[in-house]
Amino acid sequence: MKKNDFYLIIGILIATAIVVIFSNIITRKDTAGAVAVVTIDGSEYGRFPLDRDVTERIEHSDGAYNVLSIHDGICEITEASCRDQICVHHMSVQYNGQTIVCLPNKLVVTIENSNNDDIDGATH
Amino acid sequence: MKRFKIISAVIILALIALILAVQYRGKSDVSVNNGSNKELSKYTINFLDVFDTSTDITGFATSKEEFDKEANLIKEKLTYYNNLYDIYNEYDGLSNIKTINDNAGVQPVKVSSDIIDMLEFGKDMYELTDGKVNIAMGSVLKIWHDYREAGLDSPETASVPALFDLQEAAKHCNINDLIIDKDKSTVYLQDANMSLDVGSIAKGYAVQRVLEYCKANGMNNILFSVGGNIAGLGARADGDNFKIAIQNPDLESSNPYIEKVEISDGQCVVSSGDYQRFYEVDGKRYCHIINPDTLFPAEGFAGVSVITDDSAKADALSTALFNMSIEEGQAFVEKLDGVEAMWVYHDGTKEYSKNFKDSVIE
Repeated sequence: MKKNDFYLIIGILIATAIVVIFSNIITRKDTAGAVAVVTIDGSEYGRFPLDRDVTERIEHSDGAYNVLSIHDGICEITEASCRDQICVHHMSVQYNGQTIVCLPNKLVVTIENSNNDDIDGATH
Repeated sequence: MKRFKIISAVIILALIALILAVQYRGKSDVSVNNGSNKELSKYTINFLDVFDTSTDITGFATSKEEFDKEANLIKEKLTYYNNLYDIYNEYDGLSNIKTINDNAGVQPVKVSSDIIDMLEFGKDMYELTDGKVNIAMGSVLKIWHDYREAGLDSPETASVPALFDLQEAAKHCNINDLIIDKDKSTVYLQDANMSLDVGSIAKGYAVQRVLEYCKANGMNNILFSVGGNIAGLGARADGDNFKIAIQNPDLESSNPYIEKVEISDGQCVVSSGDYQRFYEVDGKRYCHIINPDTLFPAEGFAGVSVITDDSAKADALSTALFNMSIEEGQAFVEKLDGVEAMWVYHDGTKEYSKNFKDSVIE
């Protein structure tokens, strides 16, 4: 093998590595940084990354509240003032598009930028 | 030597292609190619404005803007039906179900054909279910509604309606007193004490109409979930069937789903249960589905799910099955074409109609 052949192969390997690294970065944007987006009556209240444990008491103007808890990469409502408590009983969420809804308080928690589970919708 | 160089170059290029293929495979469940070199991504929008419940519209589009355009059309349509079929609220310049109820025993009300058709469907369902689904049962349901609201507002004073009051109200639930005049496009309740409650069919009926509207307007690959009334138009963009989880009626369970099913184009899944809308009196649960025979909440099951090809029918049938015994229900489903059901008892055990398991994802 000539010296130039050697350089050619090294060059191609480096080019491959660059392509792989870049495409990795582009793909990672989709899965890293999963967040729970909280909206109240349609307007955004806040975004909570799933990789940071937090307990947030969300106060509504009429004195009502929901307590949002993020731990171990999952998000749930642990406490709420609403009378039906459907949001508290709701399963914890972590996958793309999953929601927890508190109808009385018009609160919606939606998971974005996370992994997909294989479910498109759920009855309730 | 030259040959060696060409071969190694080809091998290296093949390696690059392989690495890239592996890289992008992980994304294929999120985005797929629709054949015209445009990538389709999955989007979901949630809104709380219709049918007193939470609605999710899931679709596949090349951009968020494109999806939002379709989703907004769908929302507009659902809002239209929501207002028409509303029994509690009035809307400016609109004659809806509340208008009909307010004019019971007074006069016929001129209404849109979208109301006439829904009410006729309601009459059909009364026939089909032998009265287990009765949209003319408003007088009884109103009593339960008021007791439930009061019980939720102050649980310590929650109480159960007196049977006598319910029986008096039940004298005004005759579906034949609902007079529909198709030619004049009017509806008249000829018993002044009766009222319509279309809660058992209106949501499913609206979803079915909107799905047909979308289909007629060239939309595809859309999953509707209106308060758990789920209907699929087309399939996922990757061609796979939509996959639907059926919620576990036992909300305390660590297992959030009791079953997973897949639905083909035009199929829908609807669940009726006692685990979402209910109130408690002395520790006993009273749900919102009232059995027309006993005038009390049905207690046989924690939930019933129906799979069929019409969302309106699925809505009505899941209510009907919730009000029947398992034997009645099995025999009833057996008679119907293309209808499958799953019953869930309070201890978590399940029963299936003959072919329900064909839809279950193992």
